Amino acid sequence: MGMNRRNSARPGMTRREFLARSGALGVAGLSLPALLAACGGSDSDGGALLFDNWPLYIDPTEGDLTGSVDRFIAASGIAMKYTETYNDNDEYFAKIQPLLGNGDTIEPDLIAPTFWMAGRLISLGWVDKMPFDKIPNAANLADNYVKPPWDPTGEYSIPWQAGMAGIAYNIDVTGRELKSVADLFDPAFKGKIGMLTEMRDTMGLLLMGQGVDISSIASFDQAAGAFEQLEKAKTDGQIRAFTGNDYIDDLVSGNYAACVGWSGDVLQLGKDAPNIRFVIPEEGGTLWSDVMVIPKGAKNVDAVAKWIDFVYDPVQAAQITAYVQYLSPVKGVREELAKIDPELAESPLVFPDDGMRARLKSWANLSDDVDAQFADAFSAITGA
Amino acid sequence: MLASRADHAGLGALAVAALCLVALGAGWFDGAVNALVVLVLIIVAAGVGALAALGGPQARRLLAPYGLMKPGLLWMALFFLAPVWSLLRISLSTKESRFSVQYDFGWAWENYSTAFSDFGAQFQRAFLYSAIATVLTILIGYPVAYVIAFRGGRFKNVLLGLVVIPFFTSYLIRTIAWSTILADQGPIVSVLRTFGLVGVFEFLQIMDNGKLLNTPAAVIGGLTYNFLPFMLLPIYVSLEKIDPSLVRAANDLYSTPTAAFRKVVLPLSVPGVFAGTLLTFIPAAGDFVNAQFLGNPNTTMIGNSIQDQFLRQNNYPVAAAMSTVLMASITALVLLYTRFFGTDDIA
Repeated sequence: MGMNRRNSARPGMTRREFLARSGALGVAGLSLPALLAACGGSDSDGGALLFDNWPLYIDPTEGDLTGSVDRFIAASGIAMKYTETYNDNDEYFAKIQPLLGNGDTIEPDLIAPTFWMAGRLISLGWVDKMPFDKIPNAANLADNYVKPPWDPTGEYSIPWQAGMAGIAYNIDVTGRELKSVADLFDPAFKGKIGMLTEMRDTMGLLLMGQGVDISSIASFDQAAGAFEQLEKAKTDGQIRAFTGNDYIDDLVSGNYAACVGWSGDVLQLGKDAPNIRFVIPEEGGTLWSDVMVIPKGAKNVDAVAKWIDFVYDPVQAAQITAYVQYLSPVKGVREELAKIDPELAESPLVFPDDGMRARLKSWANLSDDVDAQFADAFSAITGA
Repeated sequence: MLASRADHAGLGALAVAALCLVALGAGWFDGAVNALVVLVLIIVAAGVGALAALGGPQARRLLAPYGLMKPGLLWMALFFLAPVWSLLRISLSTKESRFSVQYDFGWAWENYSTAFSDFGAQFQRAFLYSAIATVLTILIGYPVAYVIAFRGGRFKNVLLGLVVIPFFTSYLIRTIAWSTILADQGPIVSVLRTFGLVGVFEFLQIMDNGKLLNTPAAVIGGLTYNFLPFMLLPIYVSLEKIDPSLVRAANDLYSTPTAAFRKVVLPLSVPGVFAGTLLTFIPAAGDFVNAQFLGNPNTTMIGNSIQDQFLRQNNYPVAAAMSTVLMASITALVLLYTRFFGTDDIA
């Protein structure tokens, strides 16, 4: 029953594949509605709560299954609009910057940037405090997310979902199991290695491969060696492409032998692609999260509180996890998930075991200057 | 009096209106002054309207040319001159801070030196790849256009339709489709591998380390494919106009078929090649889609860099400087090209 539910809820595309395609359309400027949704300062929808999130990142209403948004609307009576125009941290920032930077408001009441972008928004003062006094279920927040580096006081953000970056590989092409960051630089895979344009995931793995602790990194000098390694691999033709979310197609089709990838993607491929494996390298992998923040001046703060309270109920959160298959930041989800999808509840890619936990590291919050150095060095290498 | 000088009034009104639109579009002034500019615009428009209505037939006749120029010129003022002015201004500005949305104008020529020093390779690649692609579209497009124009018979329209039909599909979809066709396990590489031709293609620099996708050849091939109709159709039009009796006359005068082609058909079709070259080279030099989907990190073109600097790095000044340099270099190249190959029909 559980598996059937999950399979019937599986969309034709994975979240990241969808991202890749919609990202491609966005490149061509075809995502005008997206732009309007993000930039429309006017409140054309009156009092409806608007959550602008990443695509395919919540269970939708499909067939006889009621999605989380509709369950929330039915339970609370609050009008809610859920949009999926958050495609890329940097691009979204470029869209909201002229508005929030000038003290104007943006339309969404809630967005879910990746943790470092949330940290940037917090330090720029472009977000409002979370009304935690009205969110009793916030007590269900898993311990490792309490007062995280990007939000040291814990007043401004609360995670939506989390995930891991490690090495994804196609064993038909590699011909062997991979277990180390060094495998990405194996000359046998020349021109068949993919890297993510998400700087913290790509550099995170390379830094850990060089023994640098990303959870305490504070200066660019500590990373210079890893950037040199990346630069050399790019010049030598080791790296086939720096991609956003479209790496999974190249991996499945065999264009890539291996790449830096995200846990949920490989999990979502499931039994259809038994030759695709995911490993947290022995040197370490990154643990990231997309966190909910309230853009400054948002109107429906009370409704935001009710929504977060709703999705931090483990029963509801388990429904989301069953669909998106990333790491849930909500305590008690595993027990609830076991009732609807026992197999997924045992997956180490959704509930990392102690061995995997020990290898996972989260990035330190980089100061603005250092972050700029990292971003510049990375974009210079990715060659765009 | 005024009615007899209506042509001057029309020209003046047009210039003032264009200036107003540039001022509005480029954001020269703040809110209050902008209202004044709009007021001037309305007064000028009303004045010309009144002159046309009250000035009699002679005034209307003198005004008419400027009236006809109005839509085009005002459109260019608002949507070409104003953006270009903004672009130039931002390209010489600096950002107050990393995430600032304010740009301080200050003759910041260092943006241009950054554009050249950091992105010189991307400029070179953009011009190299688009030049090769342009030559390839001529080599492929000319024979096809020739066959359709002179041997197509009653199938001309069908054949032209076959050329154009693939382009009813989105540009992106067509480009992404090539990444499937050229993939390592895709049909082309598989065939080459079966016949043991991979080594030959690697020797020819078309393949790299056994792969076809994500190589310079794939990027150039994508550009060639995507811009082929823009070359083929103008050539076809110029060939189609050629009177076949001219070729027969050349034959009657003991010209060999080759000489007839070289001395009659080719010169008459040069305008088509010229127009096709402009339609192909200019957009191809600024293209970023092919390099993004078919290239690798060592094949990025200047279009990719501009897009990245604008939309991801928020570095508007350097991005604007790169755009300006790209526009200027393309203009210079096109002028040079026109000087040497241009024909009166086009230029």
